[in-house]
Amino acid sequence: MHISTDIWTWVAVILTFGIFSFLWKDNPFYKFCEHLFVGVSVGYTIALTWYNSVYPDLITPLFRQGKPLYVIPFLLGLCYFFRFIPKASWLVRIPMGFVLGWASGVAIPAFFQTNVIKQIQGTLLSPALFARWDVFLWALISFIGVICSVLYFFFSREHKGALKVAAETGIVFLMIGFGASFGYTVMARMSLLIGRFQFLLRDWLGVIR
Amino acid sequence: MGFWERLLKIDRKIIFIVMAVLVLFPLLKPLGLGVGSGPRAKAVFDAVDSIPPGKTLLISVDFDPASMPELYPMLVALMRHAFARDVRVLLCGLWITGAGLADKAVTEIAPEYGKEYGRDVVYLGWKAGVDAVILGMGENIKNVFSVDYYGHPLDSLPMMQEVTRLRDIPFMVAISAGTPGFSDWLLYGHSRYGLRVGAGVTAVSAADAYPYLQTGQLTGLLAGMKGAAEYEVLVQRHNYSKAYMPAVAAMDSQSLAHIVILVLVVIGNIAFFVTRKRGR
Amino acid sequence: MRRTLPLAICLIMGIVMMVQFFVPHPISVGFYDLTTKWIRIVSAFALVLGVGSLILYHIDRLQRKRPGWAYSIVTLIALVGTAITGLGWGVKPGAPLQEIIFKNILVPLNASMFAILAFYMASAAYRAFRARTKEAALLLIAAFLVMLGMVPVGAAIWGKLPDVAEWILSVPNMAAKRAILFGVALGAIATSLKVILGIERGWLGGGK
Repeated sequence: MHISTDIWTWVAVILTFGIFSFLWKDNPFYKFCEHLFVGVSVGYTIALTWYNSVYPDLITPLFRQGKPLYVIPFLLGLCYFFRFIPKASWLVRIPMGFVLGWASGVAIPAFFQTNVIKQIQGTLLSPALFARWDVFLWALISFIGVICSVLYFFFSREHKGALKVAAETGIVFLMIGFGASFGYTVMARMSLLIGRFQFLLRDWLGVIR
Repeated sequence: MGFWERLLKIDRKIIFIVMAVLVLFPLLKPLGLGVGSGPRAKAVFDAVDSIPPGKTLLISVDFDPASMPELYPMLVALMRHAFARDVRVLLCGLWITGAGLADKAVTEIAPEYGKEYGRDVVYLGWKAGVDAVILGMGENIKNVFSVDYYGHPLDSLPMMQEVTRLRDIPFMVAISAGTPGFSDWLLYGHSRYGLRVGAGVTAVSAADAYPYLQTGQLTGLLAGMKGAAEYEVLVQRHNYSKAYMPAVAAMDSQSLAHIVILVLVVIGNIAFFVTRKRGR
Repeated sequence: MRRTLPLAICLIMGIVMMVQFFVPHPISVGFYDLTTKWIRIVSAFALVLGVGSLILYHIDRLQRKRPGWAYSIVTLIALVGTAITGLGWGVKPGAPLQEIIFKNILVPLNASMFAILAFYMASAAYRAFRARTKEAALLLIAAFLVMLGMVPVGAAIWGKLPDVAEWILSVPNMAAKRAILFGVALGAIATSLKVILGIERGWLGGGK
């Protein structure tokens, strides 16, 4: 056992226990850590955004290399500050319109190609699937599952008759899907706890590698 | 109050203590259950293994410290695999709080294999504007990152003379804890520039990646800590590394934690049905 | 003017960006390249909205002495202190922002915040995960099989368990997730179109 003598490791340990103290009950120590976390994350984001984005992408080309075209994104960016001046707050809509229009225009073909066309292609039963019985069977089950699950979300008509059968089949697939997600979620949450325990045992107490 | 009623109303702190003890125990005394390798992790491994020496593997570090236990071992194992095969590694990130994590990996892993920064490995850093970053890299990486994370102009780095855009990269792994992450690389990198993408994801989002695996849009998947452990095992099995495997070491704790949850659910259900039957 | 100008900018940018996807002409590519650079800059400035709102909220809480106002001092000092450290000494490795604040404050706080969820999930699984209906039973069985199939102990119990878990994930789970994906994708496309065409105007906010 080699307990760390580094003061900053001890700070990290104290903050870890501060957050863990919430397991007992909500308390001032936890609240302190929670508010510290919010402040530090935002402060960190400001510094990184300045040095990694604003300075190299705007300040350098506009003011150091003298590229005049960069005055347009500069002015658009400055408009965000008007959000806090009530009389001119409408100006914030200009950069938002620019970004939303751009992102929406870019997203439509990308979403269509990646999440619609390719996914439809993957669902269809192609002749190649008939080569092996198990591959074909799983593809057929997937095909039925996709169609029925989509039909479950079809609320424009009352679920009765064939639609009811399809929707109920869809629920079976959806429940299995949610169950699978939950199964994996257990692993995800446990991983984070294990990570923290590894930190305490290794970096602080020095009892494991 | 009967036994089952009391069991249903058990103080949650007892559950917390049981959980903590059973997660801690295997970390101190490993059970040695071992880890196999699944087909999804093998697909990522094979894709990295097929990159010719001298070519570049792109790794996008799209996670923050909260997901480090699951995803950081993937990053380390991928870098070890690439370096052992003399494949160059280019790193970037879409999560601002993950910027320091990639730097940690570059500083720790590259020297293990005698790799030189700028020649064998480059870390571009983080930029705002997810889709614009990926699309920009598709046209010209230098337009997005004029300097790397450490402030070196990209023109001054020998590796970046050969890697100018996404089409110069044979394979990438997006290690992502959510959005932005692998789905953005598929939306903009794969669909527009034909970038071959593999993913390393937190277990929470692993089940959501399967539609992309079936279509072949995703080449492979490292799912949570299990995926990281499988990759570590594959890397060691092929003698690319002999280093300590943190994800493998944590899998014993995972096993016990999963058993605890299963037992809790079973007991909770038995108690629920017994008390409900009595209530009737 | 106050609403029309932003809507017009949105419409023009949306249509141009959609069209340029299908037109690989040098002018189209050049415009795309230029606006991609601009978007990254404008997106970075959007941080102003979040930071400004957070600061105003905590200042207001302090001024009105609302419950827990003292903690607002912690947030504001941490925010200003971290930002000044980062802006003053830089963000490169070795700088105090990375070596002290990131490694020893941000990492443990962030990681611990999510680590405690493991305990609550265990407690919730015990209290709420009930097979009350056949659908819930199905969810429970799928969760059990995936949970066991994903850890080494599952393979130790029954060698085929990882294969069963993989089948659940690859076939029924994949089908369900794909159906959800269709819904999300079509929803995203419809919303994007509505934004571009000015039908969805929620982003303009209130006022004239």
